[in-house]
Amino acid sequence: MKNRLEEFRKKHDLSQEELADELEVSRQTIGSLENGRYNPSIILAFKIAKFFNKSIEEIFIYEEEFKNDK
Amino acid sequence: MTNKKVILLITLVLSIVLFSFGFISVKMKLFNEQWKILPYILVGVGFGAFGHILGSIIQNKILKKNPEVAKKINIEKNDERNLTIKNRAKSKAFDAMLYIFGGVMLILVFLNVDLIITLLILGAYLLVFGIYVYYINKLHKVI
Repeated sequence: MKNRLEEFRKKHDLSQEELADELEVSRQTIGSLENGRYNPSIILAFKIAKFFNKSIEEIFIYEEEFKNDK
Repeated sequence: MTNKKVILLITLVLSIVLFSFGFISVKMKLFNEQWKILPYILVGVGFGAFGHILGSIIQNKILKKNPEVAKKINIEKNDERNLTIKNRAKSKAFDAMLYIFGGVMLILVFLNVDLIITLLILGAYLLVFGIYVYYINKLHKVI
């Protein structure tokens, strides 16, 4: 699953550490999410979406959908 | 005093009693030949528990003065990625353990070790597998 977490984080002028503090997760989790190595739980996905005031679909892109878009 | 503090204090006292009793037993030779190893086990377990609990008490005191550090530790402990990694590692270790146990049992059979030891290890192997099956069934109902 792809995501636009890094893009939104940079738009909000936040470091990985600061975003991690806001979401109450480790900095490594943010790094892994941004690299696409780790898929978040639905709860964390909601937390992230709520934090950026976006819908989950705007941040996380389901792989099949991503392939179709290309 | 909170429940957690009371439990910590009781366990701390128990551990002191345990290693003191073990130490006195060694000095006064309270146990006969058959049980002579018991006081050494008591000293070991008592000291181990004492160190562990004392460590927890000191850690709690330090963390109370540094809420920021306590928050960081709590985040690291409950971080969902860390928990996933921990659970995956556990699952890999469990898979490996089943093969290792099997191997050890085979070696014991070839070494003509006392049957009771082989059966004990077989029992432990089956118990672990039983716990695995139990949790598979239980979690199928819960999740």
